[in-house]
Amino acid sequence: MVKLRSRCLLVGDAAVGKSALSQMFRSDGAHFQKNYSMTAGVELVVKSVNIPETSDSVELYIFDSAGRETFVEACEKLWGQPSVLCLVFDVSSELSFSSCGRWLERVRAHCQGLHIPGVLVGNKSDLSSRREVETSVAQEWAQSQGLQYHETSAKEMENCEAPFLSLAQLFHALYQDRLQTIQNLA
Amino acid sequence: MIDPALGSLGAQIVLAASSDENHPPENIIDGNTETFWMSTGMFPQEFIIRFAESMKIALVTMHCYNVKTLKIEKSISDDATDFEAISEKEFEHTEGHLQTNDIPLNGTTATHLRFIVTSGYDHFVSVHRVSVE
Ligand SMILES: Nc1nc2c(ncn2[C@@H]2O[C@H](COP(=O)(O)OP(=O)(O)O)[C@@H](O)[C@H]2O)c(=O)[nH]1
Ligand SMILES: [Mg+2]
Repeated sequence: MVKLRSRCLLVGDAAVGKSALSQMFRSDGAHFQKNYSMTAGVELVVKSVNIPETSDSVELYIFDSAGRETFVEACEKLWGQPSVLCLVFDVSSELSFSSCGRWLERVRAHCQGLHIPGVLVGNKSDLSSRREVETSVAQEWAQSQGLQYHETSAKEMENCEAPFLSLAQLFHALYQDRLQTIQNLA
Repeated sequence: MIDPALGSLGAQIVLAASSDENHPPENIIDGNTETFWMSTGMFPQEFIIRFAESMKIALVTMHCYNVKTLKIEKSISDDATDFEAISEKEFEHTEGHLQTNDIPLNGTTATHLRFIVTSGYDHFVSVHRVSVE
């Protein structure tokens, strides 16, 4: 049994639904949950995710950064050494999708060459009549950036667990891989 | 050279921040670099070694992997309280072999040593052996 811990950055433009998404995830079938309000527009949600078909779990420490530019620098200071990335946009806002590249750059600059597994989340999938970003376009971009793609609706409670389960699984796979490397050294 | 950090000489790990059941922190003091303690994500990561009795320590040798920055603190109490910082190091990155680092402690006296890995070159670090002289 292994209990991993993972620092998850939740980033994306303001109002895409980052907080709604993390709150949905937090309140749903939790084993262990805490909620902290922090200064400088960063919220921390902690929740443990079981890895299917193992007795292992990953405790996600989700740092929800405020998207407003004025908070960004303060948030970056609190990012620490991130483990995984959850990058969110709003499928009814082309603008929020086009910001994703910039968010990714910013996170990667902060990570100094360390590989960070990540997911891209298209939220507000319930707003189908106002959709501006096609699934296939988002999917393709995500793939080109090495991110897994999920669509969610925090409003309709649709698929909100999926991105976090993916992140936990990616981090768990990374652990297995690094463990193998170290075992081969010794 | 005798190695009082070895578990066989009565030293114990009294705390470790994280653990994989298959790679417990006791592997740090079993004298064998093939067995190791693996951190399980996020920094800082720490472990505390308690010696069988108060010791004068000239040098700590650590075999590890992916450790970037390390702080060492000591306590001279019996119950692992009142730690004071005694050393801070940045290790070089190695690939394909363990990091081996000697950390001089100038004959300081301690009952406990606390090792705090404040950052790593990867998400996970391993510590294979700690020995003291
Ligand atoms: N229709 C719809 N609205 C959403 C959804 N998720 C969030 N919202 C709304 O979008 C607004 C911004 O959400 P919030 O979580 O504060 O965004 P954040 O700034 O990214 O944290 C709020 O009014 C939410 O009610 C969703 O899935 N569908
Ligand atoms: Mg928010």
